[in-house]
Amino acid sequence: MTRFILQRVITSVITLFLASIVVFIGARMLPGDPAQVLAGESADPALLEAIREQFGLNQPIWVQYFTYIGQALTGNLGVSTRDNIPVAEILLQRLPITLELAGLAILIGLVIGITAGVVSAVKRGTFVDYVATGFGLVGLSVPSFWLGLLAILLFAITWQVLPASGFVGFAEDPIGNLRGMILPATVLGIGLSAVLMRQTRAALLGQLSADYVRTARSKGVTRGREVSHALRNSLTTVVTVLGLQLGALIGGAIVTEQIFVIPGFGKLIIDAVAARNYPILQGAVLVAVTGYVLVNLLVDVAYAYLNPRMRLSGGSE
Amino acid sequence: MKTRSKVALATTAIVALLLTACSTPGGAGQGAEPETTAGGVAVVSLAGEPGTLDPSTANTFTARIIFTSVCEKLYDADDNLELVPQLAAELPEVSEDGLTVDIALREGVTFNDGTPFDATAVKISLDRHRTLPTSARKLELAAISDVAVVDDSTVRLTLSRPFSPLGAQLADRAGAIMSPTALEELGDDFGSSPVCVGPFAFEDQVSGSEMNFVKSDFYYDKDKVKLDGVTYQFVTDANIRVANLRSGDINVAERVNASDLPQLKTEAGIEILESATIAYQSVSINVDPATSSNPLATSVDLRRAFELSLDREAVNDVVFNGTNVVDCIPLPGQSAFRPDDVTCSEFDPEAARKILEDSGETLPLAVELMYPSSPTAQKTVEVIQQMANDVGFDVTLKPVEFISALEAGRAGDFEMFLIGWSGRIDPDGDVNDLVTSGGSNNFSRVSDPQLDSLVAEAASVTDTDARKDLYEQVLTRIDELKPNIYLYHDSWFLGLSGITGVEYSSDAIPRFKTASLTE
Repeated sequence: MTRFILQRVITSVITLFLASIVVFIGARMLPGDPAQVLAGESADPALLEAIREQFGLNQPIWVQYFTYIGQALTGNLGVSTRDNIPVAEILLQRLPITLELAGLAILIGLVIGITAGVVSAVKRGTFVDYVATGFGLVGLSVPSFWLGLLAILLFAITWQVLPASGFVGFAEDPIGNLRGMILPATVLGIGLSAVLMRQTRAALLGQLSADYVRTARSKGVTRGREVSHALRNSLTTVVTVLGLQLGALIGGAIVTEQIFVIPGFGKLIIDAVAARNYPILQGAVLVAVTGYVLVNLLVDVAYAYLNPRMRLSGGSE
Repeated sequence: MKTRSKVALATTAIVALLLTACSTPGGAGQGAEPETTAGGVAVVSLAGEPGTLDPSTANTFTARIIFTSVCEKLYDADDNLELVPQLAAELPEVSEDGLTVDIALREGVTFNDGTPFDATAVKISLDRHRTLPTSARKLELAAISDVAVVDDSTVRLTLSRPFSPLGAQLADRAGAIMSPTALEELGDDFGSSPVCVGPFAFEDQVSGSEMNFVKSDFYYDKDKVKLDGVTYQFVTDANIRVANLRSGDINVAERVNASDLPQLKTEAGIEILESATIAYQSVSINVDPATSSNPLATSVDLRRAFELSLDREAVNDVVFNGTNVVDCIPLPGQSAFRPDDVTCSEFDPEAARKILEDSGETLPLAVELMYPSSPTAQKTVEVIQQMANDVGFDVTLKPVEFISALEAGRAGDFEMFLIGWSGRIDPDGDVNDLVTSGGSNNFSRVSDPQLDSLVAEAASVTDTDARKDLYEQVLTRIDELKPNIYLYHDSWFLGLSGITGVEYSSDAIPRFKTASLTE
């Protein structure tokens, strides 16, 4: 198991290093000069040069990269070109908000997705199954921006039971925080729940028709215990899918945060692209990639824990 | 049977849900004068991000909005674009040769950190605007060669050349005065926690998302300030700003789309303020043969044909519900320097067709129209394309992301470019650099010594009538050269909910000094 984890950690570090290069070059491949963005309507050449000098944009790209990576390793991610605020400070402000949103979305996704998946598999071929699979199809097909606007129209404008936008810190006002998070987390979680529902249903149906379940059933095991055993073995697939869905969750958060005006990571990335704010863009994407790599590392470990055959094969590779 | 009931129930629920979603909370329009409440924090949703709040380096329209709450200037402009003193006590006193400008300052004014406002503070700020390497104010104040303190409440500016637009520059960010104490403490980071004179003081921010301001105890006019504070949120999507306004989550939505107006005007509790702005939109035609091989680059007649093919009123009606102010010159209707009689060329497709046929060019005449990709610009160019193609042009549309479009525009890498200008209260700011040789915003790359000379002369003359006459000559020359086809001046709309007393004039900047929340 230790060797398995070590292998995955080394792979993760290499992935992160390569990602840092891709992110750095990718940001600079965006058309448009950041100095021009900062200069606004003015295009005074002296001002443009002063801005480039201030942010080191007039240096060769490899010098910029090694300066950046050297500083990043010491925790200094530079300053935002828009307002000179340290990137790390901005990320620390934004990250907990997106983590809360993503956490709640995952919770909602898991509860709805697994419950619907189990019910759908157990009640296969019934009306409940059709409703659940129909929900899965709709959840996958409906774009989150449309769902978000519909939710605002219903819950905030028509019924006025939940706020349309805005964010209040949990420490400042826990109730206000949760009220503000319900709609965005649900919108974000519904897409995830649709994926989880379909995966759970498919995996559980596979397990329920496996030999060991049939044997247990012939020995008189109750339906509840039968499903319980099958579900645990189905969860390896679900956990893997959950890890892979993190990327989609970050993508979904970009849209959801924009609609509900939540000052999280997604909105930060969108704004940074529009403003050609390289330090913010690099810092945010790098942190997101790190989170993605870490979660997948944990998923690999969890997968190995849930399925011992994995860690044995992983260890002998 | 049981299953059928469930299906019916689910169907009914879904239909009810959709019907409710499509309905609107109806309203009877505006009722009686609302009762105001003392205190409270107004939540304002702005269309852009402000970037830094350092007046020396700030370059966004959103920052200009926020400065009205936190960072007053020596002068301001009224609804007629006339200068009015703000931190100055009276209008600038200009010497006969136009080379010395004395500015008397308000007395008894204090910055929001308690530092006294005086002539030394003004000198420090103006010198910083003029000398900071990354200052965006350098060009605006380039005519000033020295700033001197005459006494505690008077500064004297020495100019290297007579420069009439100076007052207007001091009514914008170049006239914003910063607390010397805060400047010393914060240095280049001043913008992250600005301290000036203003009805509200900076409290905190979530970078790029929102900024919070609280009522200032130091403000000289604090008796007029009713709000406890203002929160500015930055929401780029107009649909979301409107949704938040309708839900009552925000009090003010900036730049409401014209297409949303009919519905919003019927909703109870929502008020719409309109600003006929000084901003304009135009089609710049690349007239530099070195960078454009299109026949329009060298033929004024063809450019005139293009203009004659456009029905400005139709563009306004189709794209903006007729809300913009159709125009054919860059100076807005409010400007005292605008010629008394402006006659725009009429929409005349027959005349346009004839010019094209007589030109000897192969028809249809292909031309590429670049535009910054946005839904509004897209609609505008589509209407233009249809009109121009009807007379014999073959317009190809080229959407380009805004920043890239600016770069391509400045490099001359286009044939025609739909581009706007936010406008300035002094006419110099609407022509200088925009139609003068080598100007950084001279996208059409027009270079005409006569035009350059007229623009320079108009900026150096102090007499209003003489200036007005010179600007008429400038506009006539622009029309003769036809490097830009001006389309309209923008009208912007401000949505209000639960707030009153907001000032919204022709600079399209909402001011909250006298605003109060309503019950």
